[in-house]
Amino acid sequence: MMCTRTRSASLSLLALALAATIAACGGNSNSNSGTTGGSSGSASGGTVTVLMGTAPDFLDPQLGYTTQSAEPDWIVYTPLLTYRHANGTAGGELIPGLATAQPTISKDGKTYTLTLRKGLTFSNGKPVKASDFKYTIQRAIKINWGGKSFYTTYIVGASAYDKGSAQDISGITTDDASGKITIKLTQPYGAFGNVLAFPSSGLVPTGTAMKNLSNDPPPGVGPYMYTSASANRGFTLKRNPRFAAFKIPGIPTGSVDTIDVKIVSNTQSEAQQVLSNQADVFDPGDTLPPSLLPQIQSQASDRFARVPIPSTFYFFLNTTKAPFNNAKARQAVNYAIDRQAMVRLASGFLKPSCYFIPEGVAGHPTAPCPYGDTPDLAKAKQLVQQSGQAGAKLTVWGEERSPRREYVDYYTDLLNKIGFKATEKIIADAVYFPTIGNAKTDPQTGFADWIQDFPNPSDFYLLMDGRAIQPTNNQNFSKVNDPHIQQQLDKLNPVPATKLDSVAGEWTTLDEYTAQKAYVAAYGAESMPKFFSNRLDFGAAIFHPTYLNDWTSFKLK
Amino acid sequence: MAINPATSRAGAGPGLTARAGAGRQRDPAEPTAGVGPYRLGLRRLRRNRVALAFGALFLLIVVLCLCAPLYAAHVAHTGPNANHVTDTVTVGGVRKNVVSTTGQPIGPTWQGRFLLGADQNGRDIAVRLLYGGRNSLEVGFVATLITMLLAVIVGTLAGYFRGAVDGVLARILDLIWAYPVVLLGIALGTSLALGGISLGPLHLSGNSLMVPAVIIGVVYIPYVAKPIRGQVLGMREQEFIDAARVSGLGPLRIMVGEILPNLASTIIVFLPLMIANAILLEAALSYLGAGVQPPNPSWGTMIADGIRLIPSAMHLTFVPGAMLVLAVLGINVFGDGVRDALDPRAKVRIEEQVG
Repeated sequence: MMCTRTRSASLSLLALALAATIAACGGNSNSNSGTTGGSSGSASGGTVTVLMGTAPDFLDPQLGYTTQSAEPDWIVYTPLLTYRHANGTAGGELIPGLATAQPTISKDGKTYTLTLRKGLTFSNGKPVKASDFKYTIQRAIKINWGGKSFYTTYIVGASAYDKGSAQDISGITTDDASGKITIKLTQPYGAFGNVLAFPSSGLVPTGTAMKNLSNDPPPGVGPYMYTSASANRGFTLKRNPRFAAFKIPGIPTGSVDTIDVKIVSNTQSEAQQVLSNQADVFDPGDTLPPSLLPQIQSQASDRFARVPIPSTFYFFLNTTKAPFNNAKARQAVNYAIDRQAMVRLASGFLKPSCYFIPEGVAGHPTAPCPYGDTPDLAKAKQLVQQSGQAGAKLTVWGEERSPRREYVDYYTDLLNKIGFKATEKIIADAVYFPTIGNAKTDPQTGFADWIQDFPNPSDFYLLMDGRAIQPTNNQNFSKVNDPHIQQQLDKLNPVPATKLDSVAGEWTTLDEYTAQKAYVAAYGAESMPKFFSNRLDFGAAIFHPTYLNDWTSFKLK
Repeated sequence: MAINPATSRAGAGPGLTARAGAGRQRDPAEPTAGVGPYRLGLRRLRRNRVALAFGALFLLIVVLCLCAPLYAAHVAHTGPNANHVTDTVTVGGVRKNVVSTTGQPIGPTWQGRFLLGADQNGRDIAVRLLYGGRNSLEVGFVATLITMLLAVIVGTLAGYFRGAVDGVLARILDLIWAYPVVLLGIALGTSLALGGISLGPLHLSGNSLMVPAVIIGVVYIPYVAKPIRGQVLGMREQEFIDAARVSGLGPLRIMVGEILPNLASTIIVFLPLMIANAILLEAALSYLGAGVQPPNPSWGTMIADGIRLIPSAMHLTFVPGAMLVLAVLGINVFGDGVRDALDPRAKVRIEEQVG
């Protein structure tokens, strides 16, 4: 990859760069000879090369929906609200982005009022207006962003605009003179602040073409801007020279001048290049090849870490049909499951937990697991006998991809060990969730996971909401319909995201109740690899819980 | 059954093969007078030491695989699907994790437990290898049985009746033939793995071993049925068939009593070759997730499972790969020997074509 580098204008630098190139191509280079030559050794500036084994779905902010697109879009298109650039739980805190302050929310929770900062310009120099926000939301709806239902469900008039029966979103009113933006909601929705912080809510200029602009991304307001993009080959970000003047608190202006992103054909080559310092960043959205792990741990332990992200991996237990309509049968599974085994199956990329709200999200319980932190097979077998479900036939559903297949292989064997008669059904990844979410399939048990849309417990409890049970695309796989959970969700869901801390204790109590009821067998949160070359300052780099590597924190040594 | 005069006259091989070769010179070293064609074939096969050695190798693999439950119960003390992710095993007096904390499985221990190492789920590779072999061979044998049975029926009907029957059957065979075998296998395998197969009272669940067996059996039908059809087309014009017809025998009795015995050598020659092909296709389909369904082992699924760990745990792919090569090589070379024994000119024909 690095054999085709940008050449310096200076002949001497060209020669130096050539020498560095030859050295890098000839074998492992442990020196600080940088990917751009002259920038090595400086605290800011220079070029960082990021490798992605999976290309972003879109670079257009109103279309991108995967982690690979969110990583760059987050720092190119700042929304009205955004997240603090910090590691762990602190990174889940909503802070004002292009808005001057947190939104003012009406007493009924249905009207959000924000004010746009003054003096903002897009990266092309065009002034930012309050009406650009409305246009941005309209654009996301019109060009069919994957998560547009967050807008069409909650913003008054957005659904009509989507259907084409309205020319405008009536629920959004803006005043370009004062910068005031008022958003009316169809119902109180506490996580709406998180919706405003999606990269898709990141402002683009009014008049931006209503089509996919991934090959020529529109200008935004952010520390970086796209300067080139080529589908499935790569793209380049450069520092936005206008952004520093805005002095937005909490949003860094970035350290390196250029971030060069290359799409590589396979993760083996991706990891190998970072290990040998030929590239700088292994994209955490990719799976680190387990075969290279021993080498990485021995040779690059000071620039490799597993960072848990807010996610829940669990086996769902269908509470509406045998055998898991029996509480003892569900408890037996929770007694039997060995979370340390799951960690090994995940090659260490799993942080064990028995709770549904993961670490890093408000409300995550810290109490010991209700069915023990270590497996108790004898107790599990006893419970299966008591439940009268011993010998019950079970079909365990799973996905093909690794390590999810391995999780299901283990789980099936475990169910057989405690007294069920389990067989597996492994299906293609692409059709897995639509299949198990279809009422015709009505699966008894199987693999499921949830990786946060945003750091809010209500995002996770959508999967425990009885009202979310539907005939197709059902996400409440255990079909939990518990009056106590419903009552608590009615109370907690409307609490604004900016006031989550005030109800964190109640979420904790609710999650402990859910674990006690054993509606699912949760076993942990996924960890992702933070893996850099030795050119980057590993300690200074932020691993954000939502947007993974924070590219504004990249700093060359 | 009417005697096939051509066969008895030539005495150098069964059926049409013998008739066609009636005019060739006899090997003076072969004392053929009064010896039946199959006995003669057996004599030739006995002299082919290489074919016998490879046949014995295949037989050995079959016997080993049949002994899988004994090995699992008395040597390895574990089943093919039993996970030992957090277990330990003592190797040379040192306790070792079966699967390390970073997910690396243990390599060969060269002792009873985990003789050939473990996989990612801590399952004993040796046990899975033998059970996988049973599954692969079972699928191979059943698929071959299905292929041969249906191919002989279809080929005989099409060749004997000709006309509309031949038109319909031959077009169906063309249709199957038109699809690349692996692609057709994947398409059928992935769709049937979900719902299984229901044919009247017969239902096979999606994870049944018989599903890939049926798929492989069906996709190979044209490869056997077409040559048989051609052979029957020629055979039905022979005098012994006319004689049978004149003597009042109906089509069914002629096909069963006259034509089928004369197809025997072709069927025998095809059998080992189809078994080898079926085992290979099963491995390919299982590798691609459209064959034997997890957690059941087969050599193909074992190779697929081990691929991602090749650099650090090569045994996961090498061991089942080696078994697959040996089994297929064994049956293939033996099959060639059988063909040479029953139809020595086929070898000459092939060499001429290759040359």
